[in-house]
Amino acid sequence: MASEDLKARFTPEATIGPFYPGAFLTHLPQDLWTVAPLVAHHPQGQPIVLVARFFDSLKRPVPSLVVELWQANAHGRYRHPQDQSAAPLDPQFDGFARVRTSDEGVLRFYTIKPGAHPVRRESAEVRAPHLRLTIFASGIDRLITQLFFDDESSNQSDPVLQSIPDPRVRGRLIARRRRTSGGGEGVGEYEIDVVLRGEDETPFFDDWDG
Amino acid sequence: MNTPDIVQRGGRVLPVVVNDRESEARTPANRLYRIPDAARDPFTPCPPAPFMRAGEHDLTRLAPGRPQASGEAIAITGRILDEDLRPVRRTLVEVWGANAHGRYSHVIDAGRNDAPLDPNFYGFGRLVTDDDGRYQLRTIKPGAYIARTDIGWWRPPHVHFSVVGSGVRLVTQMYFPDEPLNEKDFIFLIVPAADRDRVIGQPAATHAGDRAFRFDIVIRGRFQTPPDLD
Ligand SMILES: [Fe+3]
Repeated sequence: MASEDLKARFTPEATIGPFYPGAFLTHLPQDLWTVAPLVAHHPQGQPIVLVARFFDSLKRPVPSLVVELWQANAHGRYRHPQDQSAAPLDPQFDGFARVRTSDEGVLRFYTIKPGAHPVRRESAEVRAPHLRLTIFASGIDRLITQLFFDDESSNQSDPVLQSIPDPRVRGRLIARRRRTSGGGEGVGEYEIDVVLRGEDETPFFDDWDG
Repeated sequence: MNTPDIVQRGGRVLPVVVNDRESEARTPANRLYRIPDAARDPFTPCPPAPFMRAGEHDLTRLAPGRPQASGEAIAITGRILDEDLRPVRRTLVEVWGANAHGRYSHVIDAGRNDAPLDPNFYGFGRLVTDDDGRYQLRTIKPGAYIARTDIGWWRPPHVHFSVVGSGVRLVTQMYFPDEPLNEKDFIFLIVPAADRDRVIGQPAATHAGDRAFRFDIVIRGRFQTPPDLD
């Protein structure tokens, strides 16, 4: 079958291993509140902090895990050539960051709350605000998932979130807003546990076409 | 892998690398979830264009004009292509590897590895593909290193590659031909037998005096390459 021939050409993926260079983080944004020291930077939208804790099957924190975050701006527009949205770009917001978990397996990500956006231009179906995560660590190949916010009613109709049939599993992709904000006035702080394997395992997605 | 069962129930079950404790504890046990067709827009990031300094594609020197690292300087050239074999243009390629003795300059390789550091080798570099999706880099042929002393698992010489940009995302490792350790490496062996030649650099004509290897990377996935803007 022709499609099988095509598939055979793909380069297999592999783990980043334990020796991923730290310099590859400092070359790219790790924080979407600031672009450089002492530069006044004003991305549009509501500043938030995502606090994500990563665990393995033995409930141990996973240090040195590399997460690439990608998200829409406050208007729900991605800075991507294929985003045909009518919503405006934010000149001060690219929406991409690469961060690494601490020795305690914790990632603190400073960003703005992404906007909701239609699935496609002129589509009635709406994606709830979400963060797109690509996860790398020693021992695993690339994993992808999306994280949502517990104070967004549009979660109820998000086609990606709702494609997960079990509501308990679905809930593992929803970050909870903390009562007291740790990031200062008006900053929403959200927390979530990401479990790579085992009990309460986080759902991950497959972007290989089956 | 494209069985009706998977299409119906979801995506892949990711394999665990045998004898790798981290893989055993970190690889999701559950089947991946298929992304609903209505939401199959890119899941992969599009980072801002990187600022590149001169010489970042040459790992054999800390900076242009500095002494060359010890070991054999090699060239690796190739193309990054999408699933329709169109070039992936102006995309960021990050490369890292051990030195000629099998030691990474990474701090966590200290104490684990008796092999010496090389003061002239950091072992990482970056480049951007050209309009034909081509890249070339220069590095030191990495040494093998022991991954687990308790079971005598050696990693064969390999160079790590990461490709990111324009919605493309892939991390892989390039192995070298005719290395007996390849066939004993659990990370190499997890690659399906029919695909193993795709992660082995192919001997090529000498490049500016260096032994050269050709390593083409084909990215999997829909919506991966930006539309032709020309
Ligand atoms: Fe390695």
